[in-house]
Amino acid sequence: MILLLVVLSSVKSCDWLELLPPDGLVFDEYWKTKEDVEATLLGAYSKFAIMDEKLFLYGEIRADMIDADEAPNYEKQIINSSIFSNNILADWMDFYEIINYCNNVIELAPKMYEENVDPTFTEFQMVSLQSEAIFLRSLAYFYLVRVFKDVPYITQPTIDDNIDFYVPKTPGDSILLYVVEDLKEFSLSISTDYGSNEKTKGRATKGALNALLADISLWNFQYEDCLEYIQNIDSLNQYYLMTSTTWFDIFQPGNSLESIFELQFDGNGQNNSLYDYTYNLDYYVSSPNAIRLLDPELSRERIRGFGSISTDFLEYKPWKYAGVAPDQKTARPSAIRKAANFIIYRYADIVLMKAEAYSQLGMFNEAEEEINKIRSRALMEPLTISTSEDAFEDAILEERAKEFAFEGKRWFDLMRMGRRNDFQRKNILIEIIIQDANSTQRLVLASKLSDPNGWYLPIYEDELERNANLVQNSYYVND
Amino acid sequence: MKRIVLLILGILIIGSSNSIFAQDRIIRGRVVEEGTGESIPGATIVEIDINERVINGTITDYNGNYALKLTSSQSRLKYSFIGYENKVEEPGDRTEINIELGSAAIALEDVVIIGSAKDPMTGASQRDRATSTVKVDLSDISNVSVTSAADALQGQVAGLDIVSGGAPGSGSQIVIRGLGSLGDSNPLIVVDGIAQNISSGSDFDFGSADVEDLGFLVSIAPQDIKSVEVLKDAASTAVWGSQGADGVLMITTNRGSKGKTRFNYNYKMTITQAPPSIPMLTGNEYSMLMLEELHNAEGAFEIPDEIANDPDFYDYYNYSANTDWVKEITQTGFSHDHFFKLSGGGDKTLYYVSLNASNEIGTTVNEGFDRLTTRINLDYTLSKKLRFSVNFDYTNSYRDGNWRTKEDVTGDGVKDILNVRRMAYVKAPNMAIYEHDANGDLTGEYFTPLESFQGDGAVYFNPVAIANLSNWDVKSNKFQNSFVLKYAVSKKVNIHETVSFQYEGNKLNVFLPYSALGVDWLDQKVNYASENNSNSRKISSRTLISYAPISNRTHELSGRLMFQVDQYNKEYAKIETRNGPSISIVDPAVSAPVNKLASGSSATRAIGSLLSVNYKLKDRYIVSLIARADANSKFGANNRMGFFPSVSVAWRFSKEDFLQSAKFLNDGKIRFAYGQAGKQPKDAYARHGIFNTTNPSQYIDGTIVIPTQVQLTNLKWQTIESYNLGIDLSMFKNRLSVTAELYDKITHDLLWKGYKIPRTSGFTSLKWYNGGKVRNIGWEAFARYYVVKKKDLNIVVNFNISRNRNSFLEFPANFNNIRGDVVANGVFPTQANIGQPIGSFYGFIYEGVYPTTEDAYARNEQGEIMYDANNEPIPMTFTDGTLFQAGDAKYRDKNFDGVIDIYDAYHLGDSNPDVFGGFGWNGNYKNFKASMQFAYRTGFEIVNEIAMDTEGMLNRNNQSKAVLHRWRRDGQGVDNPNMLPRAYYLHPANNLGSDRYVEAGDFLRLNNVTFGYSLRNNGFTKRINVEAIEVSINLRKILTFTNYSGQDPEISQVMEDPFWFGTDNGLTPTPRLYSAIITVKF
Repeated sequence: MILLLVVLSSVKSCDWLELLPPDGLVFDEYWKTKEDVEATLLGAYSKFAIMDEKLFLYGEIRADMIDADEAPNYEKQIINSSIFSNNILADWMDFYEIINYCNNVIELAPKMYEENVDPTFTEFQMVSLQSEAIFLRSLAYFYLVRVFKDVPYITQPTIDDNIDFYVPKTPGDSILLYVVEDLKEFSLSISTDYGSNEKTKGRATKGALNALLADISLWNFQYEDCLEYIQNIDSLNQYYLMTSTTWFDIFQPGNSLESIFELQFDGNGQNNSLYDYTYNLDYYVSSPNAIRLLDPELSRERIRGFGSISTDFLEYKPWKYAGVAPDQKTARPSAIRKAANFIIYRYADIVLMKAEAYSQLGMFNEAEEEINKIRSRALMEPLTISTSEDAFEDAILEERAKEFAFEGKRWFDLMRMGRRNDFQRKNILIEIIIQDANSTQRLVLASKLSDPNGWYLPIYEDELERNANLVQNSYYVND
Repeated sequence: MKRIVLLILGILIIGSSNSIFAQDRIIRGRVVEEGTGESIPGATIVEIDINERVINGTITDYNGNYALKLTSSQSRLKYSFIGYENKVEEPGDRTEINIELGSAAIALEDVVIIGSAKDPMTGASQRDRATSTVKVDLSDISNVSVTSAADALQGQVAGLDIVSGGAPGSGSQIVIRGLGSLGDSNPLIVVDGIAQNISSGSDFDFGSADVEDLGFLVSIAPQDIKSVEVLKDAASTAVWGSQGADGVLMITTNRGSKGKTRFNYNYKMTITQAPPSIPMLTGNEYSMLMLEELHNAEGAFEIPDEIANDPDFYDYYNYSANTDWVKEITQTGFSHDHFFKLSGGGDKTLYYVSLNASNEIGTTVNEGFDRLTTRINLDYTLSKKLRFSVNFDYTNSYRDGNWRTKEDVTGDGVKDILNVRRMAYVKAPNMAIYEHDANGDLTGEYFTPLESFQGDGAVYFNPVAIANLSNWDVKSNKFQNSFVLKYAVSKKVNIHETVSFQYEGNKLNVFLPYSALGVDWLDQKVNYASENNSNSRKISSRTLISYAPISNRTHELSGRLMFQVDQYNKEYAKIETRNGPSISIVDPAVSAPVNKLASGSSATRAIGSLLSVNYKLKDRYIVSLIARADANSKFGANNRMGFFPSVSVAWRFSKEDFLQSAKFLNDGKIRFAYGQAGKQPKDAYARHGIFNTTNPSQYIDGTIVIPTQVQLTNLKWQTIESYNLGIDLSMFKNRLSVTAELYDKITHDLLWKGYKIPRTSGFTSLKWYNGGKVRNIGWEAFARYYVVKKKDLNIVVNFNISRNRNSFLEFPANFNNIRGDVVANGVFPTQANIGQPIGSFYGFIYEGVYPTTEDAYARNEQGEIMYDANNEPIPMTFTDGTLFQAGDAKYRDKNFDGVIDIYDAYHLGDSNPDVFGGFGWNGNYKNFKASMQFAYRTGFEIVNEIAMDTEGMLNRNNQSKAVLHRWRRDGQGVDNPNMLPRAYYLHPANNLGSDRYVEAGDFLRLNNVTFGYSLRNNGFTKRINVEAIEVSINLRKILTFTNYSGQDPEISQVMEDPFWFGTDNGLTPTPRLYSAIITVKF
């Protein structure tokens, strides 16, 4: 009775039934300060960083630079082009988690600002955080479009169960149009500097945003646009090619002058996974083609070879995530073992993008000059390339293979080449992929790759089961 | 604990003897009925001291005579007997007092007003109930060797489907009128008016991976139970509102009764025996089979040493055994149960104290259950208007179990539960239990190779080693205390106030020593130790005000208002270590290389209120209305309130004038009830959108907080709506009673736990989701007939039957009803379809084997062989391209396309019983008594996973003797649908999920046979100064009629989701029990 009276007296407002979880903040309590906005945004960065192995795989596993004999079965299946919709690499969950975090920031930061819940939250800060979220969301969609082609395009945060979860696919081309619009809208409001070198390299900046725009335009074969974005980067005067002697500083200690955007690891809680997979566990080793391109003994790639793969007694393991110096011997000490950043954009990439745009516009001299900047930095003799788009394309592709070996770029470069001019040169892509396959596999692989829809991954089986509005990539329908 | 019990015992004994002023004087006399002068046997005579306390008492014998030793000359004597007026006498100097007691209508009415005959929550007596309830008297349970009330109820109540677990201390699955909820459909247990729902809840992943049992039923000593009332329809459970949606079991425990102190001691000794196991291949047969399997698959092959039977092989002695693994882990179980109770009381105080200690050793090695319970029920009458009751009970239990694991054995991501029994079936029988060295001498260790012929030593563990060395033990402490105050404001108004406290603490200890597994030192499983602690508390209070303004022969009107407040709190903490330093350090609190800590807490609050009105006209027309409203903190403010009305009407037609000539009819009642009841999700905070930190907790140097849970704005009550139409008949001088009922129960807004949503939302699931409907429709009948009803001879027969049909009526929008269309060995495709029951499964139709490869050509609808463009016959193919050949399994090609794929799957059955019930008789002749009770359950299918494991012949698992009847050469298996396919290592399609492993689980079981003899009131009992001695023999589950080929068709199972179906995966089967029981009363 006494208890009842106590309860009755407190019940009046019905607050007695409003219980909050002791571990974790509820939605209504969150979004109160600018720090809350930033904490969620950093969650998106962190999620990108956690998926470094996936970013690596999407860019490498179907290409010609790595072998993965020790890797799990689902990865070997991808290498053999026996890809089924139950392959867990087709699970796009991580990307959509990032997108959801970003959507939270993009949607709720302005609301918070308008409601003025945090008086110290300025419009400048609000837009700046929003721009970073736009950048990360755009980057996530760019990966999704390159890996899956058409995917659901979601711009609303998942706050409660009132939203429509069953979103159909949007064509990848349209998604990239939206993304470019978003990026252009926020290209002026994004910061160029976050105070510390780590943050300036590890968070989205004007340079990173323009690099992404340049990359997307190149993917869309819009070369003038690409050059315009690159011009934006150059006018920042923020990024330089490292010298020949300091080339490996790009990877260790990282955050070099050349770096535009790289996912940060400190090896102390924030650990990369590529040290284990490329060095410790031997999942991913250099392919014969990578060895042909990079072996310092054969091709005289004195700088990039020594920095990219380890010597033969270590089975040509990728070295960029495991080495402390381009000596192919000294592995990272335990304190920084898992601290190698994952580089999304560095200035050398911009230089070679520029070369590609120039050459496709027929400006061969300018293109050659850009290529040779990279080559001379690598202490390689300059190239003289015959003046045809194809010759330049081949040269740039090979240069990119060597410069960005194991940096998760190769497959997207090959796809860009294969897709250009209505799949005019898709046979080159096929030849490159099958060159090291055994004779029985070659025909099978070649026929599988002849349908460009098969260059994209299928929609994950379980996701199709969850969302009836999704349509499987036609290439995988009859499996 | 014991100390408290002793203390209370002591107080009671001192209180009742009060021998300070002892003055020995014996008063004798006779108690007779006023007017007739007939003697009244069993009347109570108590001595009351000047303080109105009862200090001594006795009862009259068969002739109404009594003798009482008076302790004080100041005392008075009070004579009472039910149905008669009490009388108080001042003894003065008299030594003989004869008393006449007058019959008392008023006295009976008095009882009614206090409320003991009517249910305090509904205000209706059992006789006038218009809803569907059944009351089972279990006061005689002490003569039966059951270990829980669920055991005793099995097969006794129509509509109550009970599947008991086989392992000691494992709970039973209880379903009332079909599965009405997803997840668990367990009924609410109410003990003495207190809802026992504190431990249910899935807030924490407790890792027990066990059947979520109704621990409360296990924790009550069955001898304490007086009766169990089963509330089946929503109109009857409405009073329990939000908790009783899946039915209610109301347990009433024994209480003290007026009279002298009675002692009762009961001992049961039980021997339990597992039913015969499936006969398995011996080591030699196994080696032969493996050779054939590998030969068929690979042609010429190098014979692995392990099956080569080569004496030069260094492990020859370890691989040349003929071990019967199942036999090695099976034992004869044994249990003791001691029960002691003391009860009695006087006019002011009634007391009941009991103590129960039971110890049970199971039929699987290292399974056992210990339990200690005490119960104290006190009733105190403060005044005629005020009564006060205190109930106190405490249970300490310890369940000893074996390590079990979920492993991806096949490598396709499907997790199988591996327990020792299942492993014992598949473990290679040519392996030795204990390790031999190269000379054949024992090394003193279990034989646990890192990599055996079967594979990974951690997956294919040694079941004997695991059973003997591992721990999976649950310790539990439960405590409950309740206070009930009954105050009669006036003759018309009563207040009933209940406050209760409940506490439950559980601890799960798991330990897996290195020596029990074949793993190297670095393996994560080495010396794995974990300790999970959880405790939950509940405080609740309930105020019930009843008002009965009119109560006369024509009209009876009463109303009730109830207000209830509950608060639950839960906490847990978990420690887990791996790679501990020693195989003998079981405690996880050592600094092992890998460890994990976790903890959490939650709170839930609920408010409920009830308004009910009962009206009865001329004892013929009964109407009852109940309105219950609940509010629960688990819901957001928008959906927090749930309103659950119910209405029931009854017509006692037997009281109508036109039926007065029908003398055979004693009582007849038709009743109809409609009601709603609600159910809330289990998690306390599921509705909140939650933001939390993650791992890693920072990016560069900034803290990360991310959304981790979607806010559930639409979360609401799951509502069960039910209709019930029933008839109760009592005929032929009440010798025959019949009850029949029709019901329809529809669950709206089904609660789905972990409802999967597209990942594009950034989440994988909503914690709970409301959607869809499930229907249970059926009928029940119950009959009891007193064949003979005489003073010395009584025989009663009983029969009950229940029919239930369960089906999905509606799915949530966007729900994908097909999950997993994987066609593979050992897998059944699952679907949930509108109109079909929960627990349906699909698969192929097995039609024996292809006797020759020519028989394996694809055929069209006309049965003609199909040819391709080159006029070559097309062979039957499997989805992966494998061609079927002679000796392979033949599945029906449903669509005649020559390919066995998902489109050839048929609906093979479901796991819900269609018809179940029980029947039996019991009787007594003079001092002998006997009873027999059968239970049956039919119309459901079991997926025999053990058979699937042991008849596939495509891996290195041991197989059952059934495989001796396998295809070996061309031409075998013509017109023989029971022929097993050829042995073929890793064949992709010979062991698909097909009707080959789907068996009807129908069974009829002799649940209980009791034969007893009691000695009372004769020379022997008098000489040893006891009131009675009863001895009985009880046999349980000794006879089962079933076609099920597994060990036992009674398989405890828990529905996890709508795609669940019941599988036999080799848990300890329900054993046969043989008990001897002795009860001494004095």
